[in-house]
Amino acid sequence: MKRIGLIVVILCGAVLLYATRDFPAWGDPASPASTHVSPHYIEHALQETEVPNLVTAVLADYRSYDTMFETLVIFGAGVACFLLLRSFGARRREGWYVRHIPTGVVIHFRKRPRIPHSRFFERLDTEWVPHDLIIMTICRILLPFIQLFSLYVVAHGDFSPGGGFQGGVMFGASLVLMAISFDLRTALSRVGERILALLAFLGVVLYGGIGVLCMLLGGEFLDYSELAKILPVHAEEARALGMIGVEVGVGIAVTAVMAVIYVNIASAGRHDEGL
Amino acid sequence: MIILNALVILFLGTGLVFFLGGAVGIIRMPDFYSRLHPVGKLDTLGIMAMVTGLALYNLGHFSWETLLVSLKMMLIVFFVFLSSPTATHSIVDAGIRAGLNPWSKSRKD
Repeated sequence: MKRIGLIVVILCGAVLLYATRDFPAWGDPASPASTHVSPHYIEHALQETEVPNLVTAVLADYRSYDTMFETLVIFGAGVACFLLLRSFGARRREGWYVRHIPTGVVIHFRKRPRIPHSRFFERLDTEWVPHDLIIMTICRILLPFIQLFSLYVVAHGDFSPGGGFQGGVMFGASLVLMAISFDLRTALSRVGERILALLAFLGVVLYGGIGVLCMLLGGEFLDYSELAKILPVHAEEARALGMIGVEVGVGIAVTAVMAVIYVNIASAGRHDEGL
Repeated sequence: MIILNALVILFLGTGLVFFLGGAVGIIRMPDFYSRLHPVGKLDTLGIMAMVTGLALYNLGHFSWETLLVSLKMMLIVFFVFLSSPTATHSIVDAGIRAGLNPWSKSRKD
């Protein structure tokens, strides 16, 4: 079976390599891609959308339909991860560990203990976890800056490299850093599973909702210039604002999906402890 | 102006020495933990000295824009100063938890 797969892969690769010979030369100004719509984007994007970053203008305005389904693909990845990995049954375990923080004594319980909600006791993962005071303190200092910077990347995507995907990944990474430096339960107590699922859904709905709103205002799907009818700006600026709107939607969805994927993989779907 | 340039050269030279030491240390040190030592200390100090020198050089033509750029560079220094030693610390921690013993001269393995 493996050998057949290898043969198929080699054949497909050979066909693909053979087909690349028909591609136009790299950067050829006479190639179909460069003669069709690209010159229009390059020459008119700034006047039409008032967005200095051409890449954002093409990605979030001219080809917004593509980007919406990219967001949907990411949402689908999160849902697939949830459906494949999430398990609600309890883990077979040898016991529970609780640390008395002032003395550092770790107590082992056979049955599930009722841990008093105080700052002197903390539940530990089954694998021994040392006092990571340095890492916890530094991550506590750095986390707000990481999150602030990711919001900046989302909000400033019109003017500089960045946008919803990059900012969302950074925000999701900050949640992952919190789960690593403290523990999974701390991160999940801040942003719970239901909120994450809701956020992932909300991001996609925000994107699609802006598109539908444009339709309701009399334009085509995702034609942001129609937003000028309800916003106190002219049509070009409305396109820039519409782009920020969909970027925020993308950012929210990517953040939530990053966290969902990490939590499910790190804890093997149990959401109780891991890494 | 001459004083500023002299300071810049001093900072860049210091950074160069630290980076060189770090690079030699990574190659020459005998094991995992001792190799992390130059990474954690010398590279952090090297990047601090280097970027401080560059930020000073950037202030040569003083205006609010260059001051802003220099402040941003010093912010980079600040974050590297926090995160790089912490990363080294956590890598060492992971190595010890995974059961890797430190090198010693008598026990060659």
